[in-house]
Amino acid sequence: MKTIIHHLRSAAVALALAAPLAASAADISLLNVSYDPTRELYQDFNAAFAKYWKAKTGDNVTIKASHGGSGKQGRAIIDGLEADVATLALAYDIDALYEKGKLIPKDWQKRLPHNSSPYTSTIVFLVRKGNPKNIKDWDDIARPGISVVTPNPKTSGGARWNYLAAWAYGQRKFNNDETKTREFIGKILKNVPVLDSGARGATTTFVERGIGDVLLAWENEAFLAQKELGPDKFEIVVPSLSILAEPPVTVVDKVVNKRGTRAVAEAYLQYLYTEEGQEIAAKNYYRPTLESVAKKYEKNFPKLNLVTVDSEFGGWQKAQKTHFSDGGTFDQIYLK
Amino acid sequence: MQFKINKITSALLASGLLLATHSAFAADPEIEALRQTILDLDQKIKVLERKNEIAAEEAAAKKKETPVVVAGPTGFGIKSADGQFEYSLKGLIQLDYRQFDNPDHTTNADDGFTARRIRPTFQGTLFGKYDFRFTPEFGETDNTNTGTGNISRVIDAYVDGRFDPAFKIRAGKFKPFVGLERLQGGGDIKFIERSYVSNNILPNRGLGTSVYGDLLDSKLSYAVGFFNGTNDGGEETTRVDANSDKDYTARVFTTPFKGSDSVLEGLGFGVAGTYTNSSTGTLPSYKTPSQQLNFFQYTTGTVGDGTRVRVSPQAYYYYGPFGVIAEYARVSQEVRNAAGTVNDTLKNDAWQIAASWVLTGEDASFKSVKPKNPFETGKDGWGAWELVGRYQENNIDGSAFNTASGNRFANPLTSAKEAKTWGIGLNWYLNQWVRLATNYEQTKFEGGGGGTLANIRDREDERILFSRLQFQF
Repeated sequence: MKTIIHHLRSAAVALALAAPLAASAADISLLNVSYDPTRELYQDFNAAFAKYWKAKTGDNVTIKASHGGSGKQGRAIIDGLEADVATLALAYDIDALYEKGKLIPKDWQKRLPHNSSPYTSTIVFLVRKGNPKNIKDWDDIARPGISVVTPNPKTSGGARWNYLAAWAYGQRKFNNDETKTREFIGKILKNVPVLDSGARGATTTFVERGIGDVLLAWENEAFLAQKELGPDKFEIVVPSLSILAEPPVTVVDKVVNKRGTRAVAEAYLQYLYTEEGQEIAAKNYYRPTLESVAKKYEKNFPKLNLVTVDSEFGGWQKAQKTHFSDGGTFDQIYLK
Repeated sequence: MQFKINKITSALLASGLLLATHSAFAADPEIEALRQTILDLDQKIKVLERKNEIAAEEAAAKKKETPVVVAGPTGFGIKSADGQFEYSLKGLIQLDYRQFDNPDHTTNADDGFTARRIRPTFQGTLFGKYDFRFTPEFGETDNTNTGTGNISRVIDAYVDGRFDPAFKIRAGKFKPFVGLERLQGGGDIKFIERSYVSNNILPNRGLGTSVYGDLLDSKLSYAVGFFNGTNDGGEETTRVDANSDKDYTARVFTTPFKGSDSVLEGLGFGVAGTYTNSSTGTLPSYKTPSQQLNFFQYTTGTVGDGTRVRVSPQAYYYYGPFGVIAEYARVSQEVRNAAGTVNDTLKNDAWQIAASWVLTGEDASFKSVKPKNPFETGKDGWGAWELVGRYQENNIDGSAFNTASGNRFANPLTSAKEAKTWGIGLNWYLNQWVRLATNYEQTKFEGGGGGTLANIRDREDERILFSRLQFQF
């Protein structure tokens, strides 16, 4: 009898001690609305962050992710999708969260280092093994008879980077003669048999459906395709000039204020800049911005001549208006 | 065709006929050209297939965002793809012909047509939990029980917040959760007119708010309410209240066997009540079943002075094609005569029991009957046919007449003490939207209503034959 009472007492003490701990551990959920090819990156990163947050605070955080064409994802957030954080392909799509939804402050990009872009990437060519069409640079994809796969710039952030990279190349080749650059872009677009809505869809078109001779792809997407399907099937071709893609991230203020998730959402994005976060980015073929990690992985990323949106196009607002808004150069050339 | 070409191409490619570089034919320019043509065709087919695939994906995505337009048996409306927002138009039109058996012209009721209800209803849902309903009335109705008239007005205008099945709030002008038959829709009632319980005792519509909900797997419902308040059978206007006194309502109703396979599955019963305390309450007149004449009215100047308490036990039972509804209501009203010299508490009551039987076998329910075989000329269907029968009484407290002349609350020469009515009817549901109905009701009045002071006589019987054409969608 004494033993039973002793056990009961011990159990009661254990329960009493455990109760405050259990009561203090909160279950938190975050929604990260991202662009198309970041699925694998955030799958790894979310697991690492959840572990980190649990160790730091004792709270359980579950991160859900939504992926799609960057422009489309931005519009979904404006239309009411409750994203705690937005990690989109380009700053213009996040600017829209302020411009059209007043969901974030105007100067959102100043809140985190590197204009809120924790990693970068660029645009390269993915061709079939042996490069049967001998594609080496942008001129080659404008040749007649070359089938080019790229998504729709109206919905895809990656496609806009593709377009601007080609435009920058054209401007240099034709000494800033815009008419000739337009003709050059027209020839490339004429070679595009199908426009997917997002980068992942375009990869599916090229890799799984066997369509086209070349895929204009995010560098990380090209590496991933090569890794997943084997270097015996595809090759990466690095053009002579490309564009520095800076996919930015932000907390969606109105949502985190409403849901009470600001602290964890901010920590989530800050974690992207830590050594561990940068390692995960590099392993998923995104170019890290942290010097130490960038140096460690520098062999993985080819060196090439990169232009930036700011220097070449006067920033995303101007680039969007000139090229991708209704009636912009893309419409003028593609719909002609 | 595309499929065939694709298959042939694939087969040829797979067999190596076209791709075999070591083939003796490879050097043949014609074969090489043919090979290239096949490869080009293969690409074209793949592109077409991919375009179809993308188009299908886009269509599926668009479908998720595209509002759904509804035009069908449930009515007309539009709904957001996620179902969170909805707007619909509904309507109820009732055209009646009223025939009075009144050979001596002892009443002032005339035979003729009337548009009893003309009610378009605009209703919808916002953010998945807030419902609204707006129903104007353009038909011949005046349920204030203080006179007759033809008043176009707002009959329902309210907003619901469905925060939880057990906790909902309704505010605006609506039917208070009190009377069982009153809570039946105007297009669902079995008889052309409701009973004394609904029309003469319990409130028709109030302006106020209610908290209500369903508990225990929806087997128990409750409601409590707070209203400006209205007299017996009355309908509040949307104007500012005439006094500061309010009506409190409460109701509990249970369907304990709901969802089971018991023969009592269709049983429901409960009790409801209202309470108010007013020193300036107007008092009602009680109508005959025709709803055109009053068989009882208080003498001029008599007012409600003090509490008014209504209690109403109520029940229904539906089993197969058979249905019955039973309801009792009693009102205890403190009154004061015109001179302010006499006060009393009058206890008036009413009750009804009504049965229905769907001859064509459809299930009876609290709602309208849905015919299994709608009526269509040239086809076999004859819709649904339903027989209905009802007995009801309305009794006035004898104290209303007993006081000495001059101090009476009611005049026995113009008001009867009791009304006893039996009625039968036939409903023909041509389809779920159209119904033809005919009712015969005979009422015997006792305890006054005619004659002279020296020789008080009972009011003449009322015999009515009412018919109705109803459209409801």
